[in-house]
Amino acid sequence: MENLQSLLHGFTIAVTAPHLVLMVTGVLLGILVGVLPGLGAPNGVSLLLPLTFGMQPVSAIILLSSMYWGALFGGSVTSILFNIPGEPSSVATTFDGYPMARDGRPTTALATAFGSAAFGALVGVVLITFLASWVAQVALAFGPAEYFAVYFLAFASFVGMGGAAPMKTVVAMAIGFAIAAIGIDTVSGSVRLTMGIDELVKGVSFVVAVMGLFGIGELLIAVEEEFHARAVSSKIEWREVFRALAALPRHGIALLRSAAIGCWMGITPGGPTAASFMSYGIAKRFSRRGQRFGAGEVEGVIAPETADHAAGTSALLPMLSLGIPGSATAAVMMGGLMIWGLNPGPMLFVDQKDFVWGLIASMYVGNIVAVTLVLLTVPVFAALMRIPFVIVAPLIVIICAVGAYSVSNSYLDVVLMLGFGVVGYLFKKLSYPLAPLVLATVIGDKAEDAFRQSMLISKGSLGIFFANRLVTSLVIAGFALLFLPLVLQILRALRGGAPQRAASEEIPIT
Amino acid sequence: MISRRALEILTATLTGVFGLAVVISSLDNGIGWSSDGVDAGTFPFLTGVIIVAASLYNLARGALAGTAVAVSRSDLKRGAALFLPAAAFVGFIPWLGFYLASAGYMFGVLALPKHLTLPRSLAIAVATPLFLYVVFERLFEVTLPHGALAAAFGY
Repeated sequence: MENLQSLLHGFTIAVTAPHLVLMVTGVLLGILVGVLPGLGAPNGVSLLLPLTFGMQPVSAIILLSSMYWGALFGGSVTSILFNIPGEPSSVATTFDGYPMARDGRPTTALATAFGSAAFGALVGVVLITFLASWVAQVALAFGPAEYFAVYFLAFASFVGMGGAAPMKTVVAMAIGFAIAAIGIDTVSGSVRLTMGIDELVKGVSFVVAVMGLFGIGELLIAVEEEFHARAVSSKIEWREVFRALAALPRHGIALLRSAAIGCWMGITPGGPTAASFMSYGIAKRFSRRGQRFGAGEVEGVIAPETADHAAGTSALLPMLSLGIPGSATAAVMMGGLMIWGLNPGPMLFVDQKDFVWGLIASMYVGNIVAVTLVLLTVPVFAALMRIPFVIVAPLIVIICAVGAYSVSNSYLDVVLMLGFGVVGYLFKKLSYPLAPLVLATVIGDKAEDAFRQSMLISKGSLGIFFANRLVTSLVIAGFALLFLPLVLQILRALRGGAPQRAASEEIPIT
Repeated sequence: MISRRALEILTATLTGVFGLAVVISSLDNGIGWSSDGVDAGTFPFLTGVIIVAASLYNLARGALAGTAVAVSRSDLKRGAALFLPAAAFVGFIPWLGFYLASAGYMFGVLALPKHLTLPRSLAIAVATPLFLYVVFERLFEVTLPHGALAAAFGY
């Protein structure tokens, strides 16, 4: 095993005292930017970048990537505690993480999230270690049609689940698509759906929608429901942390399945967001306790978190081996690579063996450092839940406003965010599902672009989606996921067990 | 007091109007197939049509919904107590800037309804923008709006 030897050599580079100090610094800073909505890994990377110019490239990339791990972990904290996802990939974590926290189990929710995230990340790193060259080839095989098929797969795994009224789901999803379409159309370059407001040319970021729909909307719901029901114990519950971690292996199948989905979506450029949604959707469908998803189910936290981090980690590979940055953070990091005098791309693995394997080894160590540090902070964050609602509520409003504003320095976004808050309240009150709306907002325009580009290539023939084995199997898998519930339902109806399902359609709102 | 039926009708109308706006706005971009492939307006047009159709369906179903109270008077009061100050805070940002507006907002919602004592409210009201300033403006160089008032003083 040539790779294994290189990896061991990498460990000798990564595990030195100065590098461990860099990791701790990077992770702590990353947690800070991850927790604060409005700041993200790109902010942290740009802050640290000037400091790295005097460093060895390996040390520099270790510092930056550790910060990235910290930010990934930190992003889940606000999702779970306050229902405010700091980044797209942690939206799916709110679905069950927030109900758990409100139930008085914030410690369990956080520890579970971090534990499964670390597992996902480690699976991603192992994949990078052993399949680097193969993975690079898969990524290269991806054209517009394949992209579209992956997005279609993500949608298909998510649609049709849940008990909401079908037409309400349709409205929610279509609104998401429309929001995604606002602004400049990337295929034709024309401006769409701005309705005469110039500031809308930049589009409506998902962050703005999510801060309002989830953050403010949830506040308005919470203020009605005599909120003080959450009985969070005042002691710091270390035992709770360990208990949650010890319970993880019991969900082994969910962990492995989510990690597999995450790696697959990370390598194929579906990305962490699509991965986390898809993993949640599939977990809901196949879990024995799937019916209770959304009400604070542990597997509902495990599935998106594992997939998110598995995807986030394995997505670094295309950046290194092909020179294609998969995210804003990766783009800034690539800028760093070039400043340090390295050229990302296939030759990196040949020319800069020390750098590449030092980095890969540091991913193992960095993730372990990150999960240890972040678990240490769990009690601190869980304690935030004990701040009285009267103080937390305005703070959440301010945080959402900062988050919405800093997306593109636009005041209009803050106003829109507040508007989304009202929509979120109405939708939640009348059980319109929010998840399809958010999913469509996040990957709607990408899916549309991919579809139109494929149509351009094929001159309008849908045959392009069945042109080769890869895309055909993706599309068929998508259709299977889409129609599987329907078929199962019909089968069940034929056997005469239908009534339970119909009863769950309209959930009475009190 | 707002009944479930009224809320359903209101929401379906809102989504329907949004859908209609999407349909009209996307017609400007052209729909259908042209030499450049699928026209830019096609997908928004389709989503707009879907939104309108589904909203009409929801409207009809909503009109049949029960008249049970969905939002009671006290619910409405609590909701307003949260939302109106928040809206005022956002409204004041262009004039007062983010920092002053957030300080005033925190002080207003904590001290005026007497949730906290005056000194405590004041402490939180000062600490909040200070924290925002140090972390965002100093540490990460993300500038938050300073407002017209600060601009008048030359900041």
